[in-house]
Amino acid sequence: MKDLFQDPIERLLREDARRPILDDGFALRVAVALPPARAARMWLKPALVLSSSLAGSLLAWLLAPAGVSLTQGFLDIARLQSQTPSALAALGMALAMAVIAAVLVADES
Amino acid sequence: MNGRPEPADAELVLAVVAHDDRKAFTRLVRRHESMVRSVLRRLSRGDHGLADDLAQETFLLAWRNLRAFRFDARFSTWLYRIAFNAWLSDARKRREVLLDDEAQAPVPEEPGRAVSAAERIDLERALGCLSDGERAAIAACYYADLTHEEAAEAIGIPLGTVKSHILRAKAKLRAKLAEDSR
Repeated sequence: MKDLFQDPIERLLREDARRPILDDGFALRVAVALPPARAARMWLKPALVLSSSLAGSLLAWLLAPAGVSLTQGFLDIARLQSQTPSALAALGMALAMAVIAAVLVADES
Repeated sequence: MNGRPEPADAELVLAVVAHDDRKAFTRLVRRHESMVRSVLRRLSRGDHGLADDLAQETFLLAWRNLRAFRFDARFSTWLYRIAFNAWLSDARKRREVLLDDEAQAPVPEEPGRAVSAAERIDLERALGCLSDGERAAIAACYYADLTHEEAAEAIGIPLGTVKSHILRAKAKLRAKLAEDSR
């Protein structure tokens, strides 16, 4: 069998393939082009959702005196009576849910 | 001197996947960039700018798809596939790429020709004279150090075609050498 390494073309190709290419900043350019760190976003989404939920719940709790009924609130809103305590509580909860939805949509996009 | 052995590719891949470890990924880039960039330089007919753009795209694609790496092949083989596909899709935007062009007339061998001037020829330019399929086969088997079987799978052509591409490419290079040495 012919010794492959005696073949000058074979040797030339292998020598050329072994010749290293200098980094010359390439690895740094790749590192800079990587997407933002996943770790930074991992805590952001739950934190935003949780804080907005808490804020919405707090708002609803502050606006709604004890004894209010969410069902009654939605019925009041349906009857265009949005100033009743129950209606305000329902509006507060709806607002909190809207904020959560907005946060989730923003995170997805 | 640090006595710790260099971590294997698999360890670095796991560190990236599990901990989003960018330093581990940069180590993988430094370890394999020479192979990826030289393969792409050969495929791009010596266009170093284009080759480096495609090499960067290759590593970014590798980063995004690292979870899909199954450890059933060498990491370098997996990277070669990404690099080859990046080159192929870029080349196909501009022209038709034929990888399976076996119908060419054989290049006559020139046995006995002195090739002592081999080191002096511009190998990059000589490789540029090869067909897309021949360059792909040479890049895979010499610059990415794949076996013929791995090259056939990565390029997507039959094993026999890889072997004939290699033979024909070497014959063309030998002829080019002989021509240059006259």
